[in-house]
Amino acid sequence: MAAAETKKLSKKRKAAQEEEETPAPPPSAFPQEVGLEMGSEDEGEEGEDVSDDGEVDEFPEIDARSDTEDEAEDGDEEDDESEEDVDEEEEEDLDEDDDSDASEESLHVWPKPKTVVSDITGQPKRVYPEIEPEYDSDSSTEDTPNRVGNIPMHWYDDLPHVGYDINGKKVLRPARGDELDKFLKTVEDPESWTSAFDKNLQMDKPLTAEELDIIRRLQEGENPDANYDPYEPTVEWFTGKGKEEVMPLSAAPEPKRRWVPSKWEKQKVMKIVRAIRQGRILPNKPKTANNQPQFYAIWNDEAPTGPAPPPAPKPRLPGHAESYNPPEEYLPTPEERAKWEATDPEDREREHLPQKYSALRLVPAYDNFIKERFNRQLDLYLAPRVQRVKLQIDPESLIPKLPSPSSLRPFPVYRSLQVPHADVRVRAISVSPDGQWVVSGDESGVVRLWEVIVGKEVKRWTFKSKVGAIEWCPRTDVSFFAVAVEDHIHFVIPPNIPGPVLTATQNVLAPATLPPPPANPSPVKWSSVPASQSSSDSPILTLSLPSSPEPPKQLVWHRKGDYLASVSEGQGGVWIHQVSRRHSQAPFKKVKGTVQLVLFHPTKPHFFVATQRYVRMYNLAEQTLLKTLTPGIRWISSMDVHPSGDHLIVGGYDRKLCWFDLELSDKPYKILRYHSRALRSVHFHPTYPLFASSSDDGSIQIFHARVYNDLMTNPLIVPLKILRGHTVREGLGVFSVRWVPRQPWLVSAGADGQVSVWCS
Amino acid sequence: MGRLKQKGKAGAAKAYMTRSAAVKKLQCSLADFRRLCILKGIFPREPRNRKKANKGSSAPTNFYYAKDIAYLAHEPVLRKLREHKAFAKKLARALGRGEWSSAKSLEDNKPVYRLDHIIKERYPTFVDAVRDIDDALCMIFLFASLPSDSKVSPSLIENCARLAAEWQLYVMHTHSLRKVFLSIKGVYYQAEVFDQTVTWLVPYQFTQTIPSDVDVRVMLTFLELYQTLLGFVFFKLYTDAGLVYPPPLDVQKDEGAAGVGAFNLQEAKVNRPTATAAKTKVVEVDGKRISSKDVRQTIKSISASGSGDGDVEMPAVDAQAANEDDEEFVEDTTEDPEDDASAAPAFTTATLPTLKTLSTLPQSTSSKLFAPYTFWLSRETSRPIFEFIVRSFGGRIGWPATSGSGSPFDENDESITHVIIDRPLVQRPNETEAEKERRRRRKYVQPQWVVDCVNAGKILLEDLYAQGKTLPPHLSPFGDHAEAYDPTAGLVGADEEDEDEEMEQEDAEASDEESATRPAKSVLKAAASAEDDAALHAAELAAEAAGIDYGTFEKEAKKAQKKAKKTEGAEEEDAERDMNKMMMSNKQRKLYERMKHGQKKRAEEKQNLEQKKRAIEKEKKRRTKAS
Repeated sequence: MAAAETKKLSKKRKAAQEEEETPAPPPSAFPQEVGLEMGSEDEGEEGEDVSDDGEVDEFPEIDARSDTEDEAEDGDEEDDESEEDVDEEEEEDLDEDDDSDASEESLHVWPKPKTVVSDITGQPKRVYPEIEPEYDSDSSTEDTPNRVGNIPMHWYDDLPHVGYDINGKKVLRPARGDELDKFLKTVEDPESWTSAFDKNLQMDKPLTAEELDIIRRLQEGENPDANYDPYEPTVEWFTGKGKEEVMPLSAAPEPKRRWVPSKWEKQKVMKIVRAIRQGRILPNKPKTANNQPQFYAIWNDEAPTGPAPPPAPKPRLPGHAESYNPPEEYLPTPEERAKWEATDPEDREREHLPQKYSALRLVPAYDNFIKERFNRQLDLYLAPRVQRVKLQIDPESLIPKLPSPSSLRPFPVYRSLQVPHADVRVRAISVSPDGQWVVSGDESGVVRLWEVIVGKEVKRWTFKSKVGAIEWCPRTDVSFFAVAVEDHIHFVIPPNIPGPVLTATQNVLAPATLPPPPANPSPVKWSSVPASQSSSDSPILTLSLPSSPEPPKQLVWHRKGDYLASVSEGQGGVWIHQVSRRHSQAPFKKVKGTVQLVLFHPTKPHFFVATQRYVRMYNLAEQTLLKTLTPGIRWISSMDVHPSGDHLIVGGYDRKLCWFDLELSDKPYKILRYHSRALRSVHFHPTYPLFASSSDDGSIQIFHARVYNDLMTNPLIVPLKILRGHTVREGLGVFSVRWVPRQPWLVSAGADGQVSVWCS
Repeated sequence: MGRLKQKGKAGAAKAYMTRSAAVKKLQCSLADFRRLCILKGIFPREPRNRKKANKGSSAPTNFYYAKDIAYLAHEPVLRKLREHKAFAKKLARALGRGEWSSAKSLEDNKPVYRLDHIIKERYPTFVDAVRDIDDALCMIFLFASLPSDSKVSPSLIENCARLAAEWQLYVMHTHSLRKVFLSIKGVYYQAEVFDQTVTWLVPYQFTQTIPSDVDVRVMLTFLELYQTLLGFVFFKLYTDAGLVYPPPLDVQKDEGAAGVGAFNLQEAKVNRPTATAAKTKVVEVDGKRISSKDVRQTIKSISASGSGDGDVEMPAVDAQAANEDDEEFVEDTTEDPEDDASAAPAFTTATLPTLKTLSTLPQSTSSKLFAPYTFWLSRETSRPIFEFIVRSFGGRIGWPATSGSGSPFDENDESITHVIIDRPLVQRPNETEAEKERRRRRKYVQPQWVVDCVNAGKILLEDLYAQGKTLPPHLSPFGDHAEAYDPTAGLVGADEEDEDEEMEQEDAEASDEESATRPAKSVLKAAASAEDDAALHAAELAAEAAGIDYGTFEKEAKKAQKKAKKTEGAEEEDAERDMNKMMMSNKQRKLYERMKHGQKKRAEEKQNLEQKKRAIEKEKKRRTKAS
């Protein structure tokens, strides 16, 4: 890099010199004037630089004579630019010449010999004086006692010597005084300020006159070389008088275009001149001088086809409240004002408060004027626009038109009677198939049998722990019900039933000849009391299920009254018991999810199993999965199937009720959400087109649900009545609702220990 | 099987573009993009589904139609903006080098864009343009009142003031002002031009300062467009009205703060005479030459419309004559299209004039509302507002020299009928007889009278608005939405209020014998609630015990029962409706609830206002009683 730089600089210098030369009288005579001339030119600064740098540049050239490395560099330069080099070498030669001239005058290279008569021979002889090796002598002969060379001197820091002399003897470290000595030296010794520390000898050495001269020159910004002449005369090698090139480099004749003016240029110029003369071009006419827009009838010509862009929405026109003198009722009250001021400006419904001024002259400037205009403009170009159809309809027309409930009578509307259960939750109720009796079981284990019409209690049983479920057998020729308590299912015959029915029932539950035990015995034990000893006080038949912490939560009879399904907690909690064969079987080895409920299809050999999220429909005869219904409820709490068998309703803890059309889809046909708390129970009326749902909010909702035979008509669901009367206790409302089979009556059991009958 | 669909290759992903994508595509800076959007009227759109439009990202962004952006891509203005960018660089370099002459020549050849084609694109027909000048007028009037500063140049403000004056001149000339509203923000004017209602807002005459959070560059860009738009619209309006555009400005008058009066409306002499005189000449001078054409035309018109044509034209001519009587300028827009129509083929003449006359008839009565009157403006009233209003409705108006030069008459003019004055009444002990006489002859009204007359379309009684009187409330002529509270129809509620008050008074009187009446009331209540005969009988017995005679009891019982039944029926219906709501789908229910919410809010607002009004009335009554 440095070499390149010096090269450039030297080139420049040469150029400058050449420039000098051309006008030049002998330059050495007027060096100053030449310098001035250079300064006056536009590249003056650089010219000065050249002169300075030239001196700096030239400095290493002195050394170059003794140093081989620099010569090598010079060689490089030669490679680069041959033409220049010629000059340069010449120049160097010149330099040398100068040098030799100067040295002949100032320095005596060869000292004058003295002629003396030899003592030995007696002949005169020339005696040269003893060579005193000084600074300017060759470095090889210089007497530096220390010969260690250019090494870091701290290697000798902890040694007594600082190196070795030419003879290999130790050069001892010279004594160095302390700070005081140093100071005294600066005071006493007049030469101390011209001496410098010699690293090699580890002592102060006085500087020679040449060295001081170099320092002085450097300080003054001159070329440190005393012999450097920046204004050397140019040597004309190839130019000048008598040195011209005689032979041309090319033999081609000089082209005509060198001296004939261009024709094409002339044509072009003439074209412009003609245009200017004819006034087609106005020279120097500012093109944008008149900024004033010129208006003309822009809409006179044909309008383009196609629709115009939609106009921007217009801002709202001001109402009475914006008047300077509004009616007094528009003025805000202090509370309204405080509220307005408390809200953030972007949340305010109106951007200003109405104010009243008694006269127009008192109305001040509106301080948000510019801001509002600006906001309008932001709306115009920054706000996304959507075209919306504005609904001009009466909101009431959105409510579906349904037949009036009064035209859909009968349905239960009022509570006809209440049967209290000693302040215990009643979870299970069941109505006898003839619709005359109700059994209700509470959490203290009491089961009561009472009449629907008057509510008179006929019989009471007390079991050991809480009753999980109760279900009457749907058969009409026999009369008994099943009660689920702990791990047992008890079959109880109600009292006061006619004799033939009683014997038939006894025959069913405790036959004289037991059917043959099944081939593979199940863990469920069937134990019955013989018919002769049986009474209505105690169960005639008892099933012992595998033990579980909770009593079975559901019992379901098949419509023919022979099969009974029970659901208990845990895996494998579903059992189907066959009374005639006194045999129990678990239909599922493993069910995904916990089973909540099961149901028999009213007409087909199908079996519904509801887990927490899905309802699966199995064919028991073929032992296949038919369908999986996804109600999307979390979680399923109740389920009932329409007497026709084509529709299913599912209630959930998330307040939803789903209506499934089993012919149609796995997804609900309709999802209703009207209860404010979880649904607990849903039930279809066996004969009337009614269903009811009960919820933890303490209410019972009665619906009219008409199902049509043709597949095209959707079922009609009409909400009929909300029955309220049960109180909510500990967040629990009505646990169970059951319809009375042949009447439009409803029986409901609640967490408040009440069992109610609702009549039409 | 068709080709597989790739994501992001069709539909919303293709139809929409985010702003940054648009800027990248157009290869311009965001500021240039904004400027283009403002000028070309391109605005962001809301896609149906933001995720689909933004390649699955739901980051909040604005979307433009990709077609809009493609349409911007070959916009001449965009090219000019790019040229301007290059120009700015060249100029900066020239200035940096101190090359003044080249900088000057660059500046002289600076690229400038014109917006004519954009106006034509955005408003293909003149009516489109007139429909959209509301915002433009608001801005022009605002900037006409702004002080100039480093950002807003004086020439710009001058131009805005000129445009504002031109518009006012046009409205005054054609008498197309319809409604005026003095609001607390400024004065709203509504004019009807080419069957389009144009509403604009003019701030009161105070110095407005531009707040720091307002980006003036945006406003100036809009103003650039609006100035061009209004220039073209005014050109068309003026030339259609037979006037020269731009109207020449009288500099001397302008320096005397004559305002609108500094402009001279000049008739365009080239077109109009030929149009009007041609007809007469055809008939009178050289009938032979044109006669064949004319005869054919008349035959056509007669065959098309029969005698109805003549009937239609007669009143129109009358109106024209009436117009010419009290107008300095001969031509009017109302008659202008009519002339064209008569020149047009006859089957259009049969229908057009009827429509025109129908639409202009009611207007012509109210648009000359102040024609018989001469007004004098007191010094404290705002001259620009009232000069504009009064002259638009055909009145003459004068003002003192302190409000500016150019008043057509001075204060002592005998023709002055009304003085618009806005200061409290003061006694003038040393008034000469002549002055008193003059005072008696003139009517001194407050400014609101003028505006209320305009909005009512008739001259109202001056007494209510006389100097020093408390003014009646000033209502918006634009009205509120349909179900809103109507401040003028407050009497019905007040009557009810009176009844209620009487009831209350009665109650107060009866308070001493409350102990006696209370059981009676409870008995009546029991009768009302009694459902079956037995309960009614029991109630009757109780009434007897309480000492109420049978006749009154029976009457009361019947009334109460009827009432109870009515409420019961209503309740039942409500319950039924509530139950039917269960069967609504989620979407419908949400819509229903939203609508109900809005209705309820509006009703509440109305009720609140009514309640306040009642309280105010009561307070007033109390005060009058007390005094």
